[in-house]
Amino acid sequence: MDANPIVLDETANDVIVVVVEGEHDIYTAPTLRDRLDEALARGGGVVVDLTAATFVDSSVLGALLDARRRALDAGQGYVVCVGAQVEPGVQRILDVTGLVPVLPVVGGLDEAITAARSASGAPS
Amino acid sequence: MKALVPEVRLSLPARAEGVGVVRQALAGVADALVFDAAVLADMKMAVTEACTNVVVHAYDERDEGSLEVEMAADDTGLTIVVRDQGAGMQQGSAGRDAPALGLGLPLIAALSDGFELHGDPGEGTEVRMSFAYERRVDPATANPVQGSIGADGRWDADADQPQV
Repeated sequence: MDANPIVLDETANDVIVVVVEGEHDIYTAPTLRDRLDEALARGGGVVVDLTAATFVDSSVLGALLDARRRALDAGQGYVVCVGAQVEPGVQRILDVTGLVPVLPVVGGLDEAITAARSASGAPS
Repeated sequence: MKALVPEVRLSLPARAEGVGVVRQALAGVADALVFDAAVLADMKMAVTEACTNVVVHAYDERDEGSLEVEMAADDTGLTIVVRDQGAGMQQGSAGRDAPALGLGLPLIAALSDGFELHGDPGEGTEVRMSFAYERRVDPATANPVQGSIGADGRWDADADQPQV
């Protein structure tokens, strides 16, 4: 069993959700990069769901920012969501780096999926 | 009541999987002390970034060195030292997986109540961080992270908005 899984959820059809749970740092960042590559390769919108994540560091932010850049270049929607009750180990690094509006970060998953869907195919 | 917490010294191989182990050890030490959740979260982040710097920058790929961590509590808070025996802060072997974002030290400065960086080329690097039981100011206000994401994908301290 992986205590800190990263899985793809394809139930939203045209938007792939990369579900990140538990603690993530330089050890799991390569896995996150692989999952983000897989999600982007589908060609549609991508949502990164950090709702069940308890800790993410700058290695994770690096992976999220690289994926964002590739999504922008390819005209794919890309949104991060954190849920309603955000862990300090996730919220704080987003706040102090000013990346909330950049990634961008929203609260709920449904909102994120809608935003990623509407951004897909739109000129960036 | 003041909890009795022994000074903790850890030495482990400077590999990525060790960073989470240090974080868990820190959580165990902090559990015996009186820190609020926000300070504990900052502590875990700062220590993670310091350890990540050792894993990524301290040693070249042939030379697996050690990651050394010391934690000691006193009346005012917890001091954590993260040290390596490497060649000093360098670009080094960051290319193994992906280039580092370059945000580690700015984050440590923004999340700790006290921060010192020591080291000379060839003599290893030491990051010393302290965290107070009672914070007077938020360190992220006193030492905010400057900059944003640069055009090359790394952190650019001079950027006032994202370059990509």
